[in-house]
Amino acid sequence: MGAHLGRRYLWDAEAEPDPLHMPSFPAQLGMPARQPRVMVASASQLADARVPLEQRDFCGHHLLRLLRCQRDNFPVPWGCHALRHAWDSCQHQDYVMRMKEFERERRLRLRQQRLRRRHGDSGDSGDSE
Amino acid sequence: MAAGALRGVLWPRAAAGLRAARAALAAPLGARAASEMSKDMLPGPYPRTPEERAAAAKKYNMRVEDYQPYPDDGLGYGDYPMLPNKSQYERDPWYQWDQPDMRHNWGEPMHWDFDMYIRNRVDTSPTVVPWHTMSKHFLLFLSIMLIMFGLGEIYPSYRPVGPKQYPFNDLYLERGGDPNKKPPAVIHYEI
Repeated sequence: MGAHLGRRYLWDAEAEPDPLHMPSFPAQLGMPARQPRVMVASASQLADARVPLEQRDFCGHHLLRLLRCQRDNFPVPWGCHALRHAWDSCQHQDYVMRMKEFERERRLRLRQQRLRRRHGDSGDSGDSE
Repeated sequence: MAAGALRGVLWPRAAAGLRAARAALAAPLGARAASEMSKDMLPGPYPRTPEERAAAAKKYNMRVEDYQPYPDDGLGYGDYPMLPNKSQYERDPWYQWDQPDMRHNWGEPMHWDFDMYIRNRVDTSPTVVPWHTMSKHFLLFLSIMLIMFGLGEIYPSYRPVGPKQYPFNDLYLERGGDPNKKPPAVIHYEI
């Protein structure tokens, strides 16, 4: 778990992504067919449900369904497992996407280093290939 | 007086008799009971001559060699002896004191701050571990903790993931953005 920290603080900080300044490359670089993420629930729906701001992410529609089911089934706690699983798996996919973003950033940085070294040797600069 | 308010023959006569008896037993003004301390037992001025020192030591039930008054610097101690600043906790708990809770014998000279040094209050017992060892351990611990926290601030630890992505231009309106202004467009892509 700490390999990226070791690389960032003890080795080459240029090649490791800085999570505070991400993403530092254009979103379409190398992936021209990227689709923007779709938000299913609307902002007014989330505001009406008084969802905390940290939970108003792209899995908000699953959360709204889960909250409505919990409110309907209260005080029985075992009525909404399926919706809970749907929300949890959406959050998991979101986290996997974050991991992929991190890895993409890292590979692009390494590529940028390679290009700089290659073009620096041959006296040219630029990261086109 | 209730006795004077009641009319009759017997009451005023009994009250007069009582008053006469009390007057006969009354002491002159300025006298004190014999159970109180006499004037020569109370603390006096700072002893200047060796005879005064001997008399003061005898007054306080101390040996002349042990008797040491407070320095005469105007703070008003007089000839009261200067005893070591040790609390009653440091006295032997197993000895049969005359007053076991105070750990004090009858006639023993009391410290100037005796009421502070009782066992319910200030305790001057020596520490279990020497003071310099304690302070060294504490300062070592504190400095190591502060250094580690400082390192944690300079080099924070994080998971190898990108930041969490939020919709609606990173929740521009929900975070208090101006609804009249156009928010900076933030588009997140799937990956």
